[in-house]
Amino acid sequence: MKRSFIRIVGGLIALLSLFAVLNFSTTPAKAETTYQIATDSTFPPFEFANSHNKYVGIDIDLLHAIAKDQGFKVNIKPTSFNAAVQSVQSGQMDGVIAGMSITKEREATFDFSKAYFMSGVVMAAKPNGKVTSLKQLRGKRVAVKTGTSGAQYAQSIHKKYGFKIVTFDESNDMYQDVLTGNSAATFEDSPVMKYAIRQGTKLKIYTKPALSGPYGFAVKKGHNQKLPRMFNNGLADLKANGEYARITRHYLGAKGSSDTTSDRTFLGLIKQNKGALLSGFEQTVWLTIVAIFFATLFGVIVGLLGVVPSKFCNGISTTLIYIFRGLPLLVLALFIYTGIPSLTGQKIPAFIAGIITLMFNEGAYIAAFVKGGINAVDDGQMEAARSLGLPFGKAMRRVILPQGIRIMIPSFINQFIITLKDTSILSIIGIIELTQTGKIIIARNLEGFKVWAIVAIIYLIVITLLTWLSNWVQRRVRL
Amino acid sequence: MNEKIKVKVTNLIKNFGDNQVLKGINLEVHDNEVVVVIGPSGSGKSTFLRNLNRLEAPTSGSIVIDDTDIADPKTDINKVRENIGMVFQHFNLFSNLSVSENIMLAPVELGKATKEEAAKQAKELLARVGLESKYDATVQSLSGGQQQRVAIARALAMNPNVMLFDEPTSALDPEMVGDVLGVMKQLATQGMTMIVVTHEMGFAKEVADRVVFVDDGNIQEQGTPDEIFNHPKDPRLQNFLDKVLNV
Repeated sequence: MKRSFIRIVGGLIALLSLFAVLNFSTTPAKAETTYQIATDSTFPPFEFANSHNKYVGIDIDLLHAIAKDQGFKVNIKPTSFNAAVQSVQSGQMDGVIAGMSITKEREATFDFSKAYFMSGVVMAAKPNGKVTSLKQLRGKRVAVKTGTSGAQYAQSIHKKYGFKIVTFDESNDMYQDVLTGNSAATFEDSPVMKYAIRQGTKLKIYTKPALSGPYGFAVKKGHNQKLPRMFNNGLADLKANGEYARITRHYLGAKGSSDTTSDRTFLGLIKQNKGALLSGFEQTVWLTIVAIFFATLFGVIVGLLGVVPSKFCNGISTTLIYIFRGLPLLVLALFIYTGIPSLTGQKIPAFIAGIITLMFNEGAYIAAFVKGGINAVDDGQMEAARSLGLPFGKAMRRVILPQGIRIMIPSFINQFIITLKDTSILSIIGIIELTQTGKIIIARNLEGFKVWAIVAIIYLIVITLLTWLSNWVQRRVRL
Repeated sequence: MNEKIKVKVTNLIKNFGDNQVLKGINLEVHDNEVVVVIGPSGSGKSTFLRNLNRLEAPTSGSIVIDDTDIADPKTDINKVRENIGMVFQHFNLFSNLSVSENIMLAPVELGKATKEEAAKQAKELLARVGLESKYDATVQSLSGGQQQRVAIARALAMNPNVMLFDEPTSALDPEMVGDVLGVMKQLATQGMTMIVVTHEMGFAKEVADRVVFVDDGNIQEQGTPDEIFNHPKDPRLQNFLDKVLNV
């Protein structure tokens, strides 16, 4: 029996190395002229998904035009700003364009192109006129978005003006905090703020742009040196031929691109975003199924290691469960996606990083109840089987496991539902599943309440279906 | 009674942590002999029985069954156990299997019989214990007495030459006890070597070749049923019999 366990563990290792090989086989394509560029998924008007779920914006349009001008190809991957920056640092991505200000601090780890846009931070507040200047912020809260110049600006003046800073990951949440009155004002790059107001956000800009910041395209320091050079050449060409002006006017001009005219009812929102929601839904279901498969495999193996008569195997099992059940899913996901590659230099696609994360985390819970289920079978059953001369493995397989599995089934169903919900956490590493799809739609239309309600209902529907399916399976297994 | 020694226990000691449960037991059981072990609760008699097929590993001493020392860690215990049947207080029938599957599992899994042979044998064994009609029944549908008789049939399916009984009637309703003891008596008359831990003094008097009184982790007295029950010498045995017989 012990030997067959070793075989199973060996199989698992082989499987993981297959993942690694798959990585290798997907990378060489970029060796030609296609560069992997990371961007923020929600930073209109620089990058955002339009109502056809296509990424557009000043950054995106500029980069495509420059690539065309200079004869290279780009594959733009939207993710959160933090993940975008880290994925370039860890070598997962070749470059980043995400309304990223060129700062001394960042120049230590990034090589920037020349500035392609000059921005500045403005203060916006409710238009009722209660807060109209920085001086009136004393003792109040100011909302900013993590890692932005707005946040940096707030940090630099919060002592002087005596306000408290609250940070958010998503623009919409930040605006919402001001609209509900939790925060008195928000600091944001002026083009971003202008765009949001044009989209119907009921805020007003009260200050002139401060801390004027140049936006640059960046690569990891010392890597991909050709890219910023080509970017600079292309940018110069676009400025010369009027393309640059056309693009910026399209997004910032008085008659620029706007989404306010579209239908903002529930049905209207569903109709406009049908494609995006459907593909997010598919991604969520797909993630769930693949994750459950590997988590079950991992969990059963680790759980069985916990009950074989070997102190060594029991120790491994207990340790694995302790580590992976103890780590928050979010930390584990970031560690696997950005932590490991920055150590090994080996890229891990987000989907696979997500699957590995869920495999370990959900698998640890599965291992715990597999172990518990087996231990819950009366000791007398094992003694009776062994006293007949059956070896441990045969007794386990024919007598203990069939009884243990019946005890475990409700826990399995529970874990499947938890896994489905936990896939939402993987939005942090840029997998565009249902939750991330919601964030992206909201970044464009700022209809937080309605879109989250739609997303919540979709989750509930899937979970209901999964519960029905599980109950059906449970009835069939129970003899 | 046969002169051949089937089971030879020498200076058997079993400790659970600091607690010494068996304190150097010596016992010889002959072929075809029926030995009944009696004694108060906690005296170590069940532990003694569980050492005989190494469900508990002896701390020291030797247990030789058919020339194999099962206390030796190098012994292939699975092989030895095939020849030692064991019947438990709580029956321990496999609750995921039917009655016939319980009986057929070990012979088929261990390659002693084909499925067909095992099925035929299961029918015969069930007839022997008076339960031929329960061939396809689930374990849960049986009474305690019926379960214990199936458990005996299950042990017999491996054709053991020694049978260990660990308080086989203690968990039964009184009206069920007779059926189980009947099957055991039948086994004894057919010449099975049996070691029986029990509180059924009637069974001991009627069926035992020898009665062994265990108290405080050791054998205090042994002899024929007549010697033990009618002429007990050890004061602890006298005290014990006084309590169990004069209720």
